Amino acid sequence: MDKKLYDFFVNKEHHKLRHTVDWNLAQEYSAANLTPKERMADRFERVMKEEKAIINDNEKIVFMRTVANLPDCFTEDEWADIKSKHYIHELGYMSNLSPNYYGTIAEGLLQKRKTADEYGKRAIDNIIMLSDKYLEQAKKQGREDIVEVLTQVPRYPARNFREALQFFRIIHFALWAEGNYHNTVGRFDKYIYPYLKADMDKGLYTAKTALDLLEDFFLSFNKDSDIYVGVQQGDNGQSMMLGGLDENGNEVFNLLSELCLKASYNNKLIDPKINLRVSKNTPKERYTLASHLTKAGLGFPQYSNDDIVIPALEKLGYEYCDAVNYTVAACWEFIIPNVGADVANISALSFPKAVDTAFHNNLKNCETFDEFLTAVKREIKNTADSICEGIKDLWFVPSPFMNVLMDTDIYNGGKYNNFGIHGTGIATAADSLAAIKKYVYDDKTISAEEYINAVDTNFENSPELLHKLRFETPKVGNNDDNVDSFVVKLLDTFADSLEGKTNCRGGKFRAGTGSAMYYLWHANEIGASPDGRRNGEPFGTNFSVSLFADIKSPLTVIASMSKPHFERAINGGPLTLEFHQSLFTDEESVEKVGMVVKSFIDKGGHQLQLNTVNRETMLDAQIHPENHKQLVVRIWGWSAYFVELDKEYQDHVIARQAYTV
Amino acid sequence: MNGIIFDIKEMAVHDGPGLRTTVFFKGCALKCRWCHNPEGLSKNLQLMYKEARCTHCNLCKSECNHTECKPFGRCLHICPENCLVVSGREVSANNLADELKKGAEILGESFGGFTFSGGEPFFQYDFLISLIEELKGYNLCIETSGYTESEKFKTVVDKLDYVIMDIKLADSNLHNKYTGVHNGIIIKNFEILRDSGVPFVIRTPLIPNITDTKENLDGIKKIIGDSPWEKIPYNTMAGAKYKMLGMEYSL
Repeated sequence: MDKKLYDFFVNKEHHKLRHTVDWNLAQEYSAANLTPKERMADRFERVMKEEKAIINDNEKIVFMRTVANLPDCFTEDEWADIKSKHYIHELGYMSNLSPNYYGTIAEGLLQKRKTADEYGKRAIDNIIMLSDKYLEQAKKQGREDIVEVLTQVPRYPARNFREALQFFRIIHFALWAEGNYHNTVGRFDKYIYPYLKADMDKGLYTAKTALDLLEDFFLSFNKDSDIYVGVQQGDNGQSMMLGGLDENGNEVFNLLSELCLKASYNNKLIDPKINLRVSKNTPKERYTLASHLTKAGLGFPQYSNDDIVIPALEKLGYEYCDAVNYTVAACWEFIIPNVGADVANISALSFPKAVDTAFHNNLKNCETFDEFLTAVKREIKNTADSICEGIKDLWFVPSPFMNVLMDTDIYNGGKYNNFGIHGTGIATAADSLAAIKKYVYDDKTISAEEYINAVDTNFENSPELLHKLRFETPKVGNNDDNVDSFVVKLLDTFADSLEGKTNCRGGKFRAGTGSAMYYLWHANEIGASPDGRRNGEPFGTNFSVSLFADIKSPLTVIASMSKPHFERAINGGPLTLEFHQSLFTDEESVEKVGMVVKSFIDKGGHQLQLNTVNRETMLDAQIHPENHKQLVVRIWGWSAYFVELDKEYQDHVIARQAYTV
Repeated sequence: MNGIIFDIKEMAVHDGPGLRTTVFFKGCALKCRWCHNPEGLSKNLQLMYKEARCTHCNLCKSECNHTECKPFGRCLHICPENCLVVSGREVSANNLADELKKGAEILGESFGGFTFSGGEPFFQYDFLISLIEELKGYNLCIETSGYTESEKFKTVVDKLDYVIMDIKLADSNLHNKYTGVHNGIIIKNFEILRDSGVPFVIRTPLIPNITDTKENLDGIKKIIGDSPWEKIPYNTMAGAKYKMLGMEYSL
């Protein structure tokens, strides 16, 4: 890719080309008493009219936001009124959907316009209007290549690889501008590869020139992403899925998939977020290829296991043709492109909170551990009941353009309308149960009263107990069946609690292993916990071991965390492992990391996220060593845990690390 | 047969072919000044103090009744940050083998085998032999200084699939100066290794101005000829653990 163009965007020079518009749309709409669809259509039109066509030197894939702000469609009072009548998910606008890019790129917007409703038609007209602005600008700048592309798309079907990429960019740009968020990319290599293949067959591209264009295209995901802030900067849901089976049971992974891994590696940018579907049949070489990307430190790819996910989705009632086509939502929730309207992140259940409640309310009265465990299970069930009952009359702001892109009437839901519930802090809960069983019931070395008192005083008067709980008590992550069995039981109970329930859209509830930001939020709901976690310490993220667990190796983590019945809890949420950059010294070590991934998949793990940690993490590790216990650094002939090194050595690794990132 | 080990590292990626599990034996006859595993030098249990985490709460200085704490004058079971850890544990070859095999199962066909390192595995010869017997059938590898009686060396080498052996210094007097022993026996064992038919690699750590000199490298080349040879870059990180052990790092 053109270095100047790359630097221009990465250094945020393009932000200077943006302007903020002084809008007061909500008041205006409210006064005119416009319907939600009218508001969405009008706002989109105004934004698109306000947008300027900017084509940068050597830029091949165009369209960037120049309007820096997107005002709300409803006043605060209106929102209060809506919320009094409905359950509103997050911002209230549509999110985490995977629309039918392929059908749109293959048909063209004029064809789509024929079947669109009046609001959809208006949205399409406005997209074409802005596209024509770009076309005029391209003519002015003498960019014949762009003139050719924009004369064809988005009005008409894409005829080649470049037009397909530009068409995608326009659709994606429009989705964001309409106010939808966490707009995913779906199975990109599946629906774009036919265009690349046809071009390569004609001799129009080599792998190298295709990669060059792909890098330009990947850069486009990063142009406006700062405007689309989720919980944190970067939380924008631009997830791309590669590989996996197609409807006929054939493997999708192709040359484009490979080029996507390379483009991501070369660009070293946080978007698009790369996911890879794998299975028992995935060849070793592909894991090696993907591990090269892991080495880059972006946390890509995230792996999902077809062998587990597809049958589990079928079990939940998804038709095979849809289950086999799964992709991920913003993070890792499994969703169905084109037809699915699952709300995969609607709420979250805290396992440690359930243990905490039973610990305080029931421990003193339970004569056996089984009685106590039953109390914990009851607590999980009650929490699940109350979460599910609390979600009534779900309402989304209707999105006319999203409706155009989906193969279903998305205003009213989709073919699938299941709700996903995250499950937070499972290792903290399992470790707590193992400790309670051991010390209160098996060894009888501590009374319920003493234990509760110690937890409630944050262990301040019982340092020996704290030490014993934290460092001398079995923890999840070391392939110890006794403690790991509680992870299995907790997840089974969670799945049992949701089974048979019908949500307000007629769908089901799905139990998940993800945490999203709840690993912090839920941790703050309770004080210290019976596993020795002190007040204020976070849980592990997603499906991970406790932050202070003394872990033998990533392999024992894999063994522990692949035991649960994921076929019953398939909302998504990966096991997360961190590796240090310096582990990847040579080709052989990259291959070996690939083998670790393979062993997790072969053992029946559902989803895996590998992080090659970077300088920022290490700086944070110096301030909060307790949060980074598993950070491994390869020194020379030996490996060490970063937090176990003295500061001067830590500083050394940090300094050295700066050369490699 | 019991032995003393100080660590087990699963998923070792630099200690031989495949994804390996490395067992670190405690105790070594050599005292290389640059040793990067100083807790492997002595066979005795040693207290490691991780100062980086210490909040100086002094709880470890309070009196306790644990017998295992007595030799160290500190309570090992109270630190809220786990700064005090004893390096070394006594384990039977049988139990250790079971533990190792359980770990190997996780990797399935990706598992490469076991590597014996240290310290110096030969420093606990009988334990090494027992462990090799217990792990028969697996791919077995050793990382050794080669400093042991030749008869023992040959017996072990013949039972292994791969040998990683150090030749650090060609000059025997310099070898004595920097490692505490002369290298005659090492060179003799190298010849046994070369003639054994067992695949091997010779390693030389490149210690600035000590082992990385042209003279030394030429000398080693003369000894080992065309044998496979890896030169391992030296890194100042090597001294990291000395402070934890209360030892002096003399480089």
